[in-house]
Amino acid sequence: MESLQFFATSWLSPDLMLLTALGTFLGIYVGAIPGLSVTMAVSILISFTFAWDINNALCLMVGIYMGGVYGGSRTAILLNIPGAPAAIATALDGYPLAKKGMAGQAIGLSTVMSVVGGFVGIFVLAVAAPLVSDFALAFQPRDYMMLGILGIMLVGSLSGESLAKGMFAGALGMLIGTVGLDPLTAEERFTFGHVELWEGIHPVAVMIGLFGLAESLEQLHHLDKAIIKQKVSRIVPSWKDVKRFLPLSLQTSSIGVIIGALPGTGGEIAALMAYDHAKRVSKKPEVPFGQGAKEGLIAAESSNNAAVGGAFIPMLTLGIPGDAVTAVFIGALFIHGLNPGPLLLETKPDMFWFMVGTLTMANIFLLIFGLTGIKIFSKLIQCPKGILIPVIFVLSIVGAYSINNSVADIWWMLGFGVLGYFMKLYGYQVGPVILGVILSRLIDENWRRAIIAEREDLGAFFAGIFASPLSLILLSAIMLILLSKVSFIKEWVGRIARS
Amino acid sequence: MHETQSKAPGELFFSLILLLVSCVLFWQAYQIDEFSSLKSPGAFPMAAAAVMFVTSSITFYNTAVKHFRVDGLAKKRISIMPLPVVIILATLLAFAVVVESVGFLITAYVFLFITIKFLYQSGFLKTAALSLAVLAVIYVVFRLVFQVVLPEGIVPEREIIAWFESLFK
Amino acid sequence: MINKIKSTLAILSIAASPVFADYPEKDIQGIIQWGAGGSTDTVMRSIAPHVEDELGTDIVMINRTGGVGAIATKYVYAQKADGYTLLMGAENPQMYKVLGLGEIDYGDMVPISILARGTPIFVAQNDAPYNNMREFVEYVQQNPGEVRTGMTGNGGLTSIVLAMLDSQVKLDLTRVPYNGDGPALTALQSGTIDVMSTVLGAAIDHVRAGRMKVIGLMDNSENALVPGVEPITEDFPGLSNYLPWGPFFGVFVKQGTPEEAVIKLQDAFRKAATNEDFVNIMTNRGYTMMNLSGDEASSFLDKYKSVSSWLVYDAGYAKHSPADFDIPRPESN
Repeated sequence: MESLQFFATSWLSPDLMLLTALGTFLGIYVGAIPGLSVTMAVSILISFTFAWDINNALCLMVGIYMGGVYGGSRTAILLNIPGAPAAIATALDGYPLAKKGMAGQAIGLSTVMSVVGGFVGIFVLAVAAPLVSDFALAFQPRDYMMLGILGIMLVGSLSGESLAKGMFAGALGMLIGTVGLDPLTAEERFTFGHVELWEGIHPVAVMIGLFGLAESLEQLHHLDKAIIKQKVSRIVPSWKDVKRFLPLSLQTSSIGVIIGALPGTGGEIAALMAYDHAKRVSKKPEVPFGQGAKEGLIAAESSNNAAVGGAFIPMLTLGIPGDAVTAVFIGALFIHGLNPGPLLLETKPDMFWFMVGTLTMANIFLLIFGLTGIKIFSKLIQCPKGILIPVIFVLSIVGAYSINNSVADIWWMLGFGVLGYFMKLYGYQVGPVILGVILSRLIDENWRRAIIAEREDLGAFFAGIFASPLSLILLSAIMLILLSKVSFIKEWVGRIARS
Repeated sequence: MHETQSKAPGELFFSLILLLVSCVLFWQAYQIDEFSSLKSPGAFPMAAAAVMFVTSSITFYNTAVKHFRVDGLAKKRISIMPLPVVIILATLLAFAVVVESVGFLITAYVFLFITIKFLYQSGFLKTAALSLAVLAVIYVVFRLVFQVVLPEGIVPEREIIAWFESLFK
Repeated sequence: MINKIKSTLAILSIAASPVFADYPEKDIQGIIQWGAGGSTDTVMRSIAPHVEDELGTDIVMINRTGGVGAIATKYVYAQKADGYTLLMGAENPQMYKVLGLGEIDYGDMVPISILARGTPIFVAQNDAPYNNMREFVEYVQQNPGEVRTGMTGNGGLTSIVLAMLDSQVKLDLTRVPYNGDGPALTALQSGTIDVMSTVLGAAIDHVRAGRMKVIGLMDNSENALVPGVEPITEDFPGLSNYLPWGPFFGVFVKQGTPEEAVIKLQDAFRKAATNEDFVNIMTNRGYTMMNLSGDEASSFLDKYKSVSSWLVYDAGYAKHSPADFDIPRPESN
């Protein structure tokens, strides 16, 4: 009963309600603009809300987080520039929908599914937080590595017409991900002696270049082409549609919660893995994946919002951040005089339920703000290309610069923009590159950690996998997908079945 | 998706470059730690570069074969570098070169003016006004709301802001 | 040409401004060496509002990560020495020279304030068969290679603490690398590693919650936050040369900054660092308040540099000898 009272704290105070609403609203725009990240916005808020009551500050921050994760989908759908890495998977099918004049519908559907995902995340946080965080702690380096491999197999589905080109792109991405001082040994990799390269190439710079800039450059070929008329009559998805896609979105949301709760992975990996899952389980999408399949959009959007609730699980139960944003939340709680450690749940149960309550409220505001104003947003891309394209260029530059306040990131963004332009021209997909960049460190670091922990004994490494049910499940999943994907094995199995 | 079935000019050249880049990167990866051990920091980059090398070789071979087969399709050629792309790329490069010394405000304004004038072909005054409006929105959002300190260059922005604030004190 | 325009504009704006007050007359930029949510970031963001009150101006905080803090250090060094760009950092630059990471360290800066320092401790899994450093050392000697410890990169806290221990007794530990003590402490709870040396503040709550145990305190006196844990000098008196030692947080400006600005900044930070809220936050996190400036700060920085550089060099993973940079060996007291 007490928890209910804590849960309702933010619901009973008009001030807190207003702040949550404001946060969610702002968050949508923070998320939508590439280069402005939720992490950044929340850390600015720390100084800004320093003298405030902690509840007020948290309402604003939670709103920004919730809205921000969702907001990335807006620009991903409308302009093919994911507002944040978590929205990369959204762009894969969302942008093709906008090209067909269905931007309004795509945003409507992604809003509803984000909210569904958000609720799944919050629900798991509320009822099973200690359980899930124990589960998340059970993940060993080898399990993270296999999770990364599971993710990289998505290259197979993102390759388009040529698997060789897709694999090239994926491997290139992995290599880009290793640039910089190796975080484990501080060995320089591909830095060519430049200190500026020590930190590596930021995935967001690669992302803005490959998606936003390359796309805009390509658009210059079609300046004379008429602007696509956006249908904005049916924005709210029909109940029938929601019902039809609900099972899928519940599945992908569960993926989102788990990946979000793992301390080493966040929303961007969740969305990509959920996308892969959707592609595997949707036997008959209305349109193929990559050309505007609603299933792909749903998977990406429900899972990355579910990851929000997931990321709070280890943070609120153990004081271990589930992702970069929750790390800043921990800092904020410290500054406000709380100790967000494993004792928080015992000493301040009100904080836990207050967070759950505020997240719930932010999620509801998300539905409201997400479904209003879509018309204006979709009209935005109907603005003449001669104005829109220059604006995208400036936004890309500012976005790249603001990642780290560095001109070097502008150069990377431009470089990858030009590379992406030629890749697209010659039939390479850019998706696998960014996939590789995101998963590179996860695989590289954890592989080495796993093998070092076993003192470089491969036998012990495999023995470890076979001794742990979790590792075995992951290994079987990888094997199954491999078997189902490799066509010659498929043929072979088919031949055996026939004979 | 039949566009790519025909040979785009430069495709063979592009795949050759990718192949060469893969070789260079493999060499670089090898240099990190040679073939010392499974846990070496060079192991993973080397594996990635090896995949790049194999796949780019396949692509190069395929493209070369296609190159000879579809040489008659010259008419279907698409221009890979139409004039707008060249001009825009040049202005983008110029932007990146001067932004730090000249400052964001001036560079971005000039960039917007040139590109909007060129792509939208509106009148002089309209272009100037449009660019100003766009820049104002971007500046307010990034610099004032989210405190991203864009390169100031020759514009003493902080002094101006301080002066502006002092007017209201 | 550009400079001419720049100075003309600057003169214009100054002429136009009705009041030409003394320093500070505009916003100050605080360049943070580490990313949002890290401990340096948190500490700096919690003191900044108090400093703003003292100075009556805004401090715009900017995270410039990269090169273990070298990017931010280089950036501040490249700015004008006018007191409008502060470097907000941790201990790392003091090791740049011997590790070959950069040319500039805090010796090229004026310390505004050394805010606080941390105390290194050893934590272990609850069911580990050792409860103090003596038992730990014996166990490792009997089971070489069996015990896994987390590492956070050469020159990082764990590497220096292990080098200190190494200077007294050789231990065969399996060293599993992590990107920071946060992930390593998580791995300790997952059972991936058995032991971790970390700063007290990072582990204290996990210890209080009974999720891990403290087996050693790298200091020459007991600490109130971990009562009953013997200081390491009880078992290894040889370490008293090096201790007390710990990572620290400090604020710096470029050398050559006008005296007036330096004094104003030092005063502001000194007052801000005594603010009750800030002190509470810091002590709760297990940091020891220092609040040093001027000569005291410089001698603290020198001692840190000398101890850490020679330890790292003797342990064999420095690129250059500290002697190349005239860094003296720590004197035995």
